Amino acid sequence: MTAQAPAPVKDRQETTRRPPVPSWLRRLAAANEAWTFGVLALLVAFFTAARPSTFLTRYDITQIATNAAIYLVLGVGMTYVIIVAGIDLSVGSVLVLSAVLSAEYTIHHGGAKSGWGTIAVSTLIALATGLLWGALQGWLVAKARVPPLIVTLGGFGAALGAAQIITGGQDPAGAVSGKLQRSIGFGKLFGQIPWLVVIAFGATLVFGLVLAFTRFGRYTYAIGSNPEAARRVGINVDAHLVKVYALVGLLSGLGSVMWLAYFGTTSIAGHSTDNLKVITAVVLGGASLFGGRGSVLGTVIGVFIPAVLSTGLIIMGVQQYWQDVAIGVVLVAAVYLDQFRRRGRDHG
Amino acid sequence: MRPTNPTGRSTAFAGFCAVLALTAATTAGCGGDSGGSGSKSLDLITGVKSDPFYITMTCAAQQEAKKRGVKLTVNGSAQWDVAVQRPIIDSVAATHPGGLLISPVDTAALTPSLQQIQNAGTKVVLVDTEVSDASIGVSRISSDNEAGGRTAAKSLAQLMGDKGSAIVISVKPGVSTTDARIKGFNEEMKANHPGITLLPVLYDNDLPATAASQIQSTLAAHPDLGGVFAGNTNTAQGISTGLQAAGKQGKVKVAAFDAEPDEITALTNGTLDVLVAQDPGAIGRQGVDQALAAIDKKKVTAHIGTDMVAITKANMDQPDIKKFFYQAAC
Repeated sequence: MTAQAPAPVKDRQETTRRPPVPSWLRRLAAANEAWTFGVLALLVAFFTAARPSTFLTRYDITQIATNAAIYLVLGVGMTYVIIVAGIDLSVGSVLVLSAVLSAEYTIHHGGAKSGWGTIAVSTLIALATGLLWGALQGWLVAKARVPPLIVTLGGFGAALGAAQIITGGQDPAGAVSGKLQRSIGFGKLFGQIPWLVVIAFGATLVFGLVLAFTRFGRYTYAIGSNPEAARRVGINVDAHLVKVYALVGLLSGLGSVMWLAYFGTTSIAGHSTDNLKVITAVVLGGASLFGGRGSVLGTVIGVFIPAVLSTGLIIMGVQQYWQDVAIGVVLVAAVYLDQFRRRGRDHG
Repeated sequence: MRPTNPTGRSTAFAGFCAVLALTAATTAGCGGDSGGSGSKSLDLITGVKSDPFYITMTCAAQQEAKKRGVKLTVNGSAQWDVAVQRPIIDSVAATHPGGLLISPVDTAALTPSLQQIQNAGTKVVLVDTEVSDASIGVSRISSDNEAGGRTAAKSLAQLMGDKGSAIVISVKPGVSTTDARIKGFNEEMKANHPGITLLPVLYDNDLPATAASQIQSTLAAHPDLGGVFAGNTNTAQGISTGLQAAGKQGKVKVAAFDAEPDEITALTNGTLDVLVAQDPGAIGRQGVDQALAAIDKKKVTAHIGTDMVAITKANMDQPDIKKFFYQAAC
């Protein structure tokens, strides 16, 4: 179809009084992520125009991406949980617990000077901790029928408490191998792309594709839309829920390894609002808290909107209190735009 | 008088002893004499049990209590939370101690509990933090935070060569101690270092990740950035990570408050450049002395401000600086 072709007659919305819209544009506008992406693009364009010599030049996209990398990894897991109509408030604490356990191993096996062997084992410990904690929470949600809000709120406190018991509440010294920090934390692939960004986008790509194109992904949407229907068509809903919560735990474990590599410490007290940040990003990306809707691409956009906004406002020299106001307004406006589009589509 | 006192504390202590000597006919109070207060019991409730600042304060208070021959029971909240600290206060109140040293975690919410314990006859001494109600406590002992902020500004300006931009990244607005530090820092910079451009304060809500991205954005907007004053340890960690990722570590000087073990490590590694150490040990010792003075009906100093010292890589090995390092355990 060309740009000049008239709209199909059977489409009531497209009367002849309206200018014809190219079909590729209409398809794009109907895509779930298009509008939030539009908001992101608008923000980037605005800051680039306002500070052309600074935004996306001196402060480049890799810096924004590096700072967003860990939240992105957590966000991917959270997308799955929210699509099955669940919630995970424990991500930040699970990250801390994984970081602390892996740090304890590092401390007793070479500390800051330890080699790749220690790094490998401590990484495995972090991933396993996250996976097991997540699976336990999943089991409580699916089999014990405790609401996910309660399970993960309990998990939020318990994981942080466990981490404080192990460390006495202080970030231990020598928690990370210097090799890990230099290579992964501050190293770059081909001298260009920070490894943290490579890892985050690798995880995003894999789990984005799994969600969009595999049976595992379809089950996730089906359970979120209607768990009873999913059960009746023969999906093992309980087992799937355990897997979804285990996945978000695993990704929290991965996040902890990235955190240790980048910040070089466990930051026990620095993760109390990770859950809100991540849930906000997922919802901003178009996911429904009632389940059945959402996408990893949307979450990527949802992670980047606040990141771009806060860096852009600092670069423009906006006072901190106004930054918080602006971020709040944009968050609500972006979700409102998305709802507005959905209403239009559902009624039309 | 104890041997090898740090300069700041010894003057404060000497003043206190002089006051005692003037007003009290007895010899009790100074020089480790335990006379007159042997049967008194004291309690200490800190803000956060696991914080090296409070650990150092507790250790010093325990030493002083032992020296004066009184029993000191130590308690502390697991978190900086009114709901956690209040039950501790109430359980201590039930034992009717002679004196209570407390670091209240809220300026208003704990007032009724403290009022009650005070009315029951316990002498309350506020250490480190305060409550707004002036009728609470016979004595208030804390670091002079504004002076600390000025100390930080002086050291940082010196390292920056008195030029470039400087910024404060703090935890959150509305905290009396950090607000006073920022006030002192800004005043000193404006008054005595006109070559330095002061940027507006940023707040990271105690999240290192936020501090990292804030410092990178600031660097982009102000390439002449030469110094940062970090509100606390978490913030300092985020800042140094952000600087390292931007390849600016060492070029931008970072000042932080306190001298916790991991901050000392950071100073050695060059991720931090200035530490402004408080003197929690002096606060603890003075707390015990003031409480005992109140119990013995001797002259009590209502407000005591302890000194702070700037630690840099250059002076960190000197013994009179080293004793300001906080302890992780007694």
